[in-house]
Amino acid sequence: MPVNKPFLHGQFAKRGIKAAKGITGIAVLFIAWQIGASVSGVSSYFFPAPVDVYNAFRDMMHKGILEVYLLDSLYRYVVGVFLGSLVGIGVALALGLNKAIAAVFAPLVGFFYAIVESAWLPVFVIWFGYGITTILTLLIFVVAFPILYNVLAGIQTLPIVYVNAARSLGATRWQILREVILPGVLPSIVTGFRIGAGFAFRGLIIAEAIAATSGIGFLIFDGAANKQTDRTIVGMIIMGLLWLIIELAYLRPFERATIQKWGLVTTAEQREVQ
Amino acid sequence: MIVNKELPKISVDNASIAYTNQDFAEPHLAVKDVTLEVSANEFLVVVGPSGCGKSSLLAAIAGFLTPQGGSIKLNGKQIEGPGADRGVVFQDYALLPWKTVLDNVGLGLKFRGMSKAERDKIAREHLALCGLADAEAKYPHQLSGGMRQRAAVARTLANQPEVMLMDEPFAAVDAQTRMTLQEELVRIWQQTEVTVFFVTHSVEEAIFLGDRVMVLSSGPGEIKAMVDIDIERKDRDLSSLNSNPRFQALRDEITRLVRQDAA
Ligand SMILES: Nc1ncnc2c1ncn2[C@@H]1O[C@H](COP(=O)(O)OP(=O)(O)OP(=O)(O)O)[C@@H](O)[C@H]1O
Ligand SMILES: [Mg+2]
Repeated sequence: MPVNKPFLHGQFAKRGIKAAKGITGIAVLFIAWQIGASVSGVSSYFFPAPVDVYNAFRDMMHKGILEVYLLDSLYRYVVGVFLGSLVGIGVALALGLNKAIAAVFAPLVGFFYAIVESAWLPVFVIWFGYGITTILTLLIFVVAFPILYNVLAGIQTLPIVYVNAARSLGATRWQILREVILPGVLPSIVTGFRIGAGFAFRGLIIAEAIAATSGIGFLIFDGAANKQTDRTIVGMIIMGLLWLIIELAYLRPFERATIQKWGLVTTAEQREVQ
Repeated sequence: MIVNKELPKISVDNASIAYTNQDFAEPHLAVKDVTLEVSANEFLVVVGPSGCGKSSLLAAIAGFLTPQGGSIKLNGKQIEGPGADRGVVFQDYALLPWKTVLDNVGLGLKFRGMSKAERDKIAREHLALCGLADAEAKYPHQLSGGMRQRAAVARTLANQPEVMLMDEPFAAVDAQTRMTLQEELVRIWQQTEVTVFFVTHSVEEAIFLGDRVMVLSSGPGEIKAMVDIDIERKDRDLSSLNSNPRFQALRDEITRLVRQDAA
């Protein structure tokens, strides 16, 4: 189809330009960092240059440590975020759709929301010991709240006319939940997930620092404790990259295939005021 | 189901509808002391100035809100909530944004557990009827206002309710399409047992469609007049109706009743 070719071509070119612009920001950061480290002349323990960090990265890859740490962290992260999301969505639905549950439990939820994860961690260690149970419990705790509050707001702002339309078409409660409420709050689930899954890194790092002997969080704290600052920075960069991958490879395509396609959210292109 | 011709399909007995608002001590009265019977397979049209309570009355019959005083019954039974027996075409369409036009139109059938193939077939028939055959794969936000309205009509028709509650369903469509839809609606109504409760701002539309036209006074809405449309169905041809003297007389009368109040 020769007619479509220039169009497709334009699409790819556009994406390429967008990616190039995104990479420019990161490149500028690295160049400034390298220049800063070289010019300042401080010890690499105090302020490692990108080259030092790269060497640390290669060293750990060679020894096979990094792979093990990364896989351990990924496993904890994915399971924790998944369970935390389920808990967040579930509690939000219960609070948002049931008066009686809301009356009894809403104050409790608010109370626990204020108690930050670093306060819980020592208690979890006492209860569950050092290891996966403590880490996952902490992650669930960290992830669930932002999702819970976002989904609750989503339920409250969902136009009631959608529910009424479904009821007039004969929907049961379960059908209303599945066909109306859940898709209707998907934008809120995505927003809550973005915040919760971002917060999960905080939870993971401090949990691994205290309750684990492997993982990216362990690497970051262990590196700093052993004057291997370059290793610490490898851990930090991996966190940043992980999030970019989650965002670009999973969240964005998911949004494009759902809420964006449905017209529930707009794109930056549509919003741009010329 | 057994249709009892003696029993009114809808009976509204001395119903008042009030909205309570946190900011005001007094509830806001939208509909006042309405008593009304709609017989099975009747076509009742409601007109009245904006804000007089037409949508509120419709919502109460649909079961979305409970009247403060009086009662509303369907087939002699108190209405206790919405149900598939009363299909609603909403003033603001209420199509689900996350479903394609086809899936929106087949939604009621899905709720009944009909298979995908079966409900798609029925949905397509109703889309064709409403002139939307080409739009089945689109999402509501990709449709024009008039197309959304037609999709909403198709969705209600496809579900084959006993009563159709239609809130200005053709307000956003062009004159040509509107005439087609009006004729189709009358045809469907004649071929089935369906009872229609139809809200409109167009007096011409009211006379073309209705067996009776109910005029509500400005808010709080009370029944101001009930006008029998005594033009035979076979004489109600959209292309010549305008020059029918009886039509003109009814139009002038109803317009006067509505305007008296709006002023
Ligand atoms: N949810 C609500 N809360 C408070 N007041 C309401 C609400 N809905 C409607 N009203 C009020 O009730 C009255 C009747 O409104 P309604 O929507 O029934 O009018 P309508 O006849 O359908 O008007 P229109 O022709 O403009 O659609 C109005 O005064 C309106 O302000
Ligand atoms: Mg209205």
